[in-house]
Amino acid sequence: MTLSEVLGPPVQRGQVIADLAPDRSPSAAPRLIQLPTAEVDAPRRRLQSLRAGPQRLLGVALLITVWEIASLAGWIRPQDLAAPTSVVSMGAHLLANGTLETALWASLQRVFWGLAVGVPLGAVLAVVAGLSRTGENLIDGNVQMLRFVPIIGLSSLFVLWLGVGETAKISMVAMGVMFPIYINTYAAIRSIDPRYEELADVVGLGRWGRVRRIVLPAALPGFLVGLRMAMAVAWLLLVFAEQINASSGLGYLIVQAQTYFQSNVIVVCLACYAILGLLTDVLVRTLERLFLRWQPGR
Amino acid sequence: MTVTSVSAAATIATDQAVLVRGLRRSFGSREVLRGIDLEIRREEFVALLGRSGSGKSTILRALAGLDKGATGEVFVPRQRSVVYQDPRLLPWARVLSNVVLGLEGEDATSRGRLALDEVGLRAHEDDWPKTLSGGEAQRVSIARALVREPDLLLLDEPFGALDALTRIRMHKLVVRLHKRHHPAVLFVTHDVDEAILLADRVLVLTDGRLSLDLPVQIDGPRLRSDPAFAELRARLLAELGVDELSEGAGPGRGHLHFANPIDVPDSEQEIVT
Repeated sequence: MTLSEVLGPPVQRGQVIADLAPDRSPSAAPRLIQLPTAEVDAPRRRLQSLRAGPQRLLGVALLITVWEIASLAGWIRPQDLAAPTSVVSMGAHLLANGTLETALWASLQRVFWGLAVGVPLGAVLAVVAGLSRTGENLIDGNVQMLRFVPIIGLSSLFVLWLGVGETAKISMVAMGVMFPIYINTYAAIRSIDPRYEELADVVGLGRWGRVRRIVLPAALPGFLVGLRMAMAVAWLLLVFAEQINASSGLGYLIVQAQTYFQSNVIVVCLACYAILGLLTDVLVRTLERLFLRWQPGR
Repeated sequence: MTVTSVSAAATIATDQAVLVRGLRRSFGSREVLRGIDLEIRREEFVALLGRSGSGKSTILRALAGLDKGATGEVFVPRQRSVVYQDPRLLPWARVLSNVVLGLEGEDATSRGRLALDEVGLRAHEDDWPKTLSGGEAQRVSIARALVREPDLLLLDEPFGALDALTRIRMHKLVVRLHKRHHPAVLFVTHDVDEAILLADRVLVLTDGRLSLDLPVQIDGPRLRSDPAFAELRARLLAELGVDELSEGAGPGRGHLHFANPIDVPDSEQEIVT
């Protein structure tokens, strides 16, 4: 069988291929459909948005109920995972005797100082590397290499150098925070539209004018993405550091609870992380709303 | 290439704004400009026509001082402004900040407001560029060029991305602003009608050389219905290698054309004649 026998006769230009479009005869009027416009769609959407909040809460409530029932029924042993009621009462107890407050405060301070050192460091390195060829050659290679070294693996070195005090923990957080800030800010500076560079020539902007009016504002969205990631990294590293060597903080509380099989204390600490995570997210969102007002849709 | 201020060159006549001698530019093995000689008098409005890729913008960039790779002699005034096809506004700076970008002095803000007033956008000074329409954004970029009080205004297809109706308004605006501020203008375009409507003189760039240099001598308002207009258009199109009759470049064929755009009523702006 030849190829043309398989394929049939070649289709001529303009020829109607009846099999492919059976109901496209010229006399058949097209069926009209109504597209969703504002007034058609509004009631459905209003209902959806009304439902969204309660449905979210319902989902969480459902999970907690199932968890409670499973605990009451004895399917989950208390030493594995405490019941929600037990977690809440333990949380209240820890708050009342000040344990949780002290631990939270110790952790918050470490995260704060870690960010206070790491964020400016990452940002300054990114600007220097982004602005000059020399800076790029000196900085970027090092950072790109170091970012693949797991920070957690460095913790032993930090203990060797700095002992088991606050400095070691803060340094680890600062180090971990620096990378997402650097990488995102540097990428943002590198992707600045070169036409703005030409514009700066045309309007006679000086070097500092370029940095202030073009480079920094253009780098800001990338920096804020980096900040969001940095916040998550900060808490992650801190808990790790506190679990290894600390006499205070949320991580320390978790290690202690583990020793005494107090799963309800562990869950209280984990809930604290979740809440702190939400709060830091709200903080970064607020910063974005504040600084990125020029972006459409904000 | 040496871009020199006119003030530094004593040999140049006092009524000259631009003097170019033997300007050459190659990109790789392709020679785009093969010896351009160009003079523009002060306050003169010169349009530069050419097919796309002919090197029109290369000449403009050389006059702006943006091309470091060209050879030849270029004399231009110190105060120059460029308006690009894209408005090129900084999206993170409000409209007024964009207009006064790079300006120094205490009166920068008030001068910026005046410039925005002239393009009819004073009310938008606190807006973000991304909330403006294409025409509005381009008017902001014209204000940014004007506020520097240029002796040479370089327009690089500034209306190329605008719709036909906005274009007509922009033509009127540019004519009005030229009459008030009288800078020398080099207006790069590929639109023959636009060149005839606006310019005192039209140049055509072909194969790296200026192949035609015609004054626009039309008395009274420039109407497309004027026989002199049609004759000039035919000559320019022929020079650009387009046969008007067979390829349909004339009114009503292919393009949205208006019989006499200068006379279209415009509530916002009036041409001061």
